[in-house]
Amino acid sequence: MFKKSYPLQSRSEIILRNIVVTAMVIFFSVFLIVPIGIAFAGSFHEWNPLSGTYNFLGLDNYIEVFTSELFWKSMLNTVIFSAVVIVFRVGLGLAIAYAIYSPLVKYKSFFRAVYYMPVVTPMVAVAFVWKFMYNPQIGTINQLFHLDINWLMNPSTALLAVMIMTIWKDFGYAVVMYMAGLYSLPADAMEAAKVDGANAWQTFRYITLPLLKPMTLFVVITSIISYIQAYVQILIMTEGGPGTATYLASYIIYDEAFVKYNFGYASALSFVLFVITAAFTMLSFRVSGTEE
Amino acid sequence: MRKKTSSIILNVVLLLLGVVTVYPFVWMLSSSFKQNKEIMALEQHLLPQQFITDNYINMNAHFNFLRFFANSLLITVVVTVIVLYTSTICGYVLSKYRFRGRNLLFGFVLSTMMIPWCVTIIPKYSMIQHFGWMDSYKALIIPGMFSGFGIFMMKQHITSLPDEILEAARIDGANEFYIFHRIVFPMSKNGISSIAIFQFLWTWEDFLWPYLVINTQEKQLLAVGLKMFNGQYSTDYGALFAATAISIVPVLLIYLFFQKQFIAGIAASAVKG
Repeated sequence: MFKKSYPLQSRSEIILRNIVVTAMVIFFSVFLIVPIGIAFAGSFHEWNPLSGTYNFLGLDNYIEVFTSELFWKSMLNTVIFSAVVIVFRVGLGLAIAYAIYSPLVKYKSFFRAVYYMPVVTPMVAVAFVWKFMYNPQIGTINQLFHLDINWLMNPSTALLAVMIMTIWKDFGYAVVMYMAGLYSLPADAMEAAKVDGANAWQTFRYITLPLLKPMTLFVVITSIISYIQAYVQILIMTEGGPGTATYLASYIIYDEAFVKYNFGYASALSFVLFVITAAFTMLSFRVSGTEE
Repeated sequence: MRKKTSSIILNVVLLLLGVVTVYPFVWMLSSSFKQNKEIMALEQHLLPQQFITDNYINMNAHFNFLRFFANSLLITVVVTVIVLYTSTICGYVLSKYRFRGRNLLFGFVLSTMMIPWCVTIIPKYSMIQHFGWMDSYKALIIPGMFSGFGIFMMKQHITSLPDEILEAARIDGANEFYIFHRIVFPMSKNGISSIAIFQFLWTWEDFLWPYLVINTQEKQLLAVGLKMFNGQYSTDYGALFAATAISIVPVLLIYLFFQKQFIAGIAASAVKG
């Protein structure tokens, strides 16, 4: 392979490049950079579009965020929700992918396609299906397991119920990701382990698992980012209730912004979540970087 | 012998998990063909004892569900086609052209994927009001024309196309527009089809944005319609099941049809990335 460092640029290349770069820059400026700026400025204001108020408040919105009981409750819920769902997503995803990968299983692409189905169904509709499944009157869950629980109306089961639904919807993504990871593993590492007389568990524990670490990191990071932003299942299934049992951080933002129209306060909340998301992402990269 | 037993156990466990995965869909679909009294009966059966299609017919009589469906289909197809085109052409420019600031621009595109929806949605909503786009499909289409995820995927994909083909076309005197539309675009089929399904799903399931910018009921989309319908007919369970089924089944069909390219596409992006 020879490398030409700067090939001759034709006129049509320059035209096409200029059009595309200009369009991209304009689009992302108008619909991303400018909005972030507006939201940042707005977070220091009392901003209500219904009454038309836009008064400077300084740090008051942020102080209100950090002194609000509901905010801390929702952060706790978000941490519990994300931690439990991610553990099951990664655990189930890895176990199932490894099982399908094994030579003992024949219909590999069939299983993979089935587990991926919930991932590609619209969240609003799926949340409704589960809401009906949890319904004590018509729901199939109490029927199947001979239970008498009002899942979504009981403060001690509501968050659990939403977590179960989310695990069901999302584990297939981890299955597909881990399968891709498994199939791209170097064959010689497995061969060497076999030659050295490692048993199945040792091969998995000391060869496969460490080699899959980048994939685990990828799944964990993308999961953290998406669960910090999750609100649709809450909006459909519980609206944060009963009480504040299922308030997640993003649901408060929806509630403050588009139910109560406190745009300023909601913007401050958004920036707090933005910083948390960025911090988690960087931390995860850091952790993986230092160990390698 | 031992191998055979563990093979059977493994397959049975996977099959059971598959049943758990599929069960909610089957239950919803089967309930949509039941009468309300059967849905609420103490003694439940998975399959309808008396098969009826009234739920689907009645649902549309008191709520124009097919209209929502058509609106959603139109918007979703338009947005998906535009995103496919912009993602491919941006991916081509970012992967095959060398120019100053290219890496900066690509890094910027990557970082757009990390920004939570909640940060930009309030200002975007105010901007749409300011532009006078409220209650118009412009508000649904224009802010969605470029996708950071799509550009990222297509850049990864087009990078692996051999430069020799492009060079050969250039030597034959083809200009860049011809090369992009006639060579790069057709050769990016796998990448395009995986973005197509994701983008289709995302636009189809988007709830908050159409809820905010569309006010006229006749223009509303399916996800929002489903929630309104649930609010107004919260006890007509049969109709609710029928409405939910209609909003899921089309997406599932598309997935089942394209699932091979699709799964290959997403998996490839993660392994490379």
